[in-house]
Amino acid sequence: MGIKGFMKKSAAIGVAAALTLSLAACSGKSSNESTGSKDGKVNIIVTNAKGEIDAQFKQAAKDFMKANPEVKIEVNSTAVGDTLNVFDKLTSSGKTVTLAMFEPYAALHKYKDVGIDLSDKKWNEETDVALKNADGKVVGFPFAVEGMGLVYNQQVVEKAVGGNFDPFSINTRDKFKDLLDKIKASGVEYPVAYQTEAWSVGNHYSSLFLNQSENPTTLADQLAAGKEDLAKNDVWNGYYDTMELLASKEYNKFGDRPIGQYYDAAHVAVGKGESAILFNGNWAFDSLKALEGSKFGFMPVPVDNNADNELNNKIAAGPTQVFVINKKASKEQQEAAEKFLEWLVYDEAGQDFVVNKAQIISAFKNNPNKVTNPLGVAIGNAIEKGKTMPFTTNYINASEWSTTVGPEVQKFIAKESKRADLAKFVEENFKKQK
Amino acid sequence: MKRGSKLADWGNSLLFLGPTTLFFAMTVIIPFLYGIYLTLFKMDNPTDPMVFSGIYNYLNAMDDKDFWESLWLTLKFVFATVFFVNMVGFGLAYLVTSGMKIQNSLRTAYFTPNLIGGLLLGYIWQFIFVQSLPAIGGKMGIRWLELGWLGDPDMAFWALVIVTIWQTSGYMMIIFIAGLISIPKDLIEASTIDGAGPLRRLFNVTLPLMVPSFVVTVFLSLKNAFMVYDLNFALTKGGPFDSTKMVSMHVVNKAFVESNYGTGQAEAIILFVIVAVVTGFQVYSSKKMEVEA
Repeated sequence: MGIKGFMKKSAAIGVAAALTLSLAACSGKSSNESTGSKDGKVNIIVTNAKGEIDAQFKQAAKDFMKANPEVKIEVNSTAVGDTLNVFDKLTSSGKTVTLAMFEPYAALHKYKDVGIDLSDKKWNEETDVALKNADGKVVGFPFAVEGMGLVYNQQVVEKAVGGNFDPFSINTRDKFKDLLDKIKASGVEYPVAYQTEAWSVGNHYSSLFLNQSENPTTLADQLAAGKEDLAKNDVWNGYYDTMELLASKEYNKFGDRPIGQYYDAAHVAVGKGESAILFNGNWAFDSLKALEGSKFGFMPVPVDNNADNELNNKIAAGPTQVFVINKKASKEQQEAAEKFLEWLVYDEAGQDFVVNKAQIISAFKNNPNKVTNPLGVAIGNAIEKGKTMPFTTNYINASEWSTTVGPEVQKFIAKESKRADLAKFVEENFKKQK
Repeated sequence: MKRGSKLADWGNSLLFLGPTTLFFAMTVIIPFLYGIYLTLFKMDNPTDPMVFSGIYNYLNAMDDKDFWESLWLTLKFVFATVFFVNMVGFGLAYLVTSGMKIQNSLRTAYFTPNLIGGLLLGYIWQFIFVQSLPAIGGKMGIRWLELGWLGDPDMAFWALVIVTIWQTSGYMMIIFIAGLISIPKDLIEASTIDGAGPLRRLFNVTLPLMVPSFVVTVFLSLKNAFMVYDLNFALTKGGPFDSTKMVSMHVVNKAFVESNYGTGQAEAIILFVIVAVVTGFQVYSSKKMEVEA
């Protein structure tokens, strides 16, 4: 081998070695980024579980940093429909999330060891719905309030009843059935467009019965202990009587085959006024693709024929996302996170972001802004009038119900299983719930 | 040419194989081995502390009735799609190599669906199955088309099969075209002179010479069908009531949604072994069927 050949070969080895080294260098760098405070700034990672407001959230972080130049916020949003929480991803890759957004159930169970005690924070004065753990300590800052019930198209319903419609006048199942008949008589062939997504009929609708006990946790705990017979529970049965009405061939647009990816079709039908009613929450507004000027509202889901029953007169609403401050973050980082939370509650720009920009119903009484989307307005009004009850999805392990209980409820709706089977399944599920 | 020294050989290997091997190791081999290691620990979530538990996760997986049900369903899906995708793909290839005027445009047209991602495809077809077909059924009075396909377990299953065929047969077509045009013309001519008709030519000359293509296409369609997830997620989400939940979706749900990370991981390894054995056997046995031209 000549000297030229040798040079070539060594160059080859050199290139390969350089490649290896540069890769090794890449992997070593990232770990100290999240914890340290370079150039005198405090770096914090914030996770946002509401992927739909990602852009607004990042803008809010920028606005906050402008006002507080000593803090640097990195926002990480969960993609809509992502199965692995962004908090898990960041934590497994060795980063410390300072401020994490969780669903209340997850904050109290899966992530119960994450948060610091927030009981002495000033913002507690402005809200009644801060998330407390079993010891009564505040662990979660309520970021978003949401509600669910029977969404109705006001024009269609008012045409049917001939005049102003008060959603809270429908406080028995018979009155509800009567309303459906009136809507039918007014020329709407199918008053209900029942969308039967697993998370909707499962996590949302099928948790409503927990509200029969003053504190939903009480009943959930009883179920977990195996001390409740759902098949004999009147309220539980009542909700499924109403569900059968919603899904029936007589009233439901999709009654002939009630299961089958109708989310968009159902919302558009109610939005356009081809149908009048569906079950969902205030986040449904965008899906309605409503014509300009059309109005929508919520009515309670009737469970029986007793007009005095609270469940027939209230809409389920509550905080669905809470912020938790990670105890593993440094003191400075925790303080920066607290500053950001205070900014959300007290600063005009923060208040503006939550309500006006992100269209989120604020959990704080001092926030003067009102959301503009009609379904959000309806929930806001119900809260003001005291016509709300706890958002029961917060008391079940919502992340797994959509793949366990949800499909089982769909089977029941499609008449592939009996109510007793469903009762058994739900009981078993509560017993092994994590 | 004189062979270089051992060191020089090493240098060459390292230059050409080093970077690839490094990346392959980083993205496939190391995560895979680490994944096997993880199955030996009891973890509900990826962030949990690792508690050694031996084969507990595998026992759990064996006991998981839903896992085996979804695997059985996936097998049915594999049979249906492997058969139809290859048949349609070969048919299309035969069509566009037959000397038609517009065959080049047709090749492009048939291949295009493959360029659309599985998720997007799922949402497009969801619209077709839930809105378009029922609308057509309603207008024309075709009773069985009037209701959305995705609400019936059997129809939802076939909806998945149809979309898979639509998506992948164009890709297989390209492989078949390559196979078809490499068949020596003289063999075809010879068989024609010997008096073989078009059908006989197809079955006795063309198809035996196409075995190498089939080895590849059957392998690809097998693997695709076993691993289907994106289309499953976008089109049916496993519904109605879990009747179309393929095994990949079950594994993802088990591990991440229902917080059984260890068990989900063990099920993924079991799935890997099954797919490796099936495809390995397929490649081995069909290689034997290859003939020399």
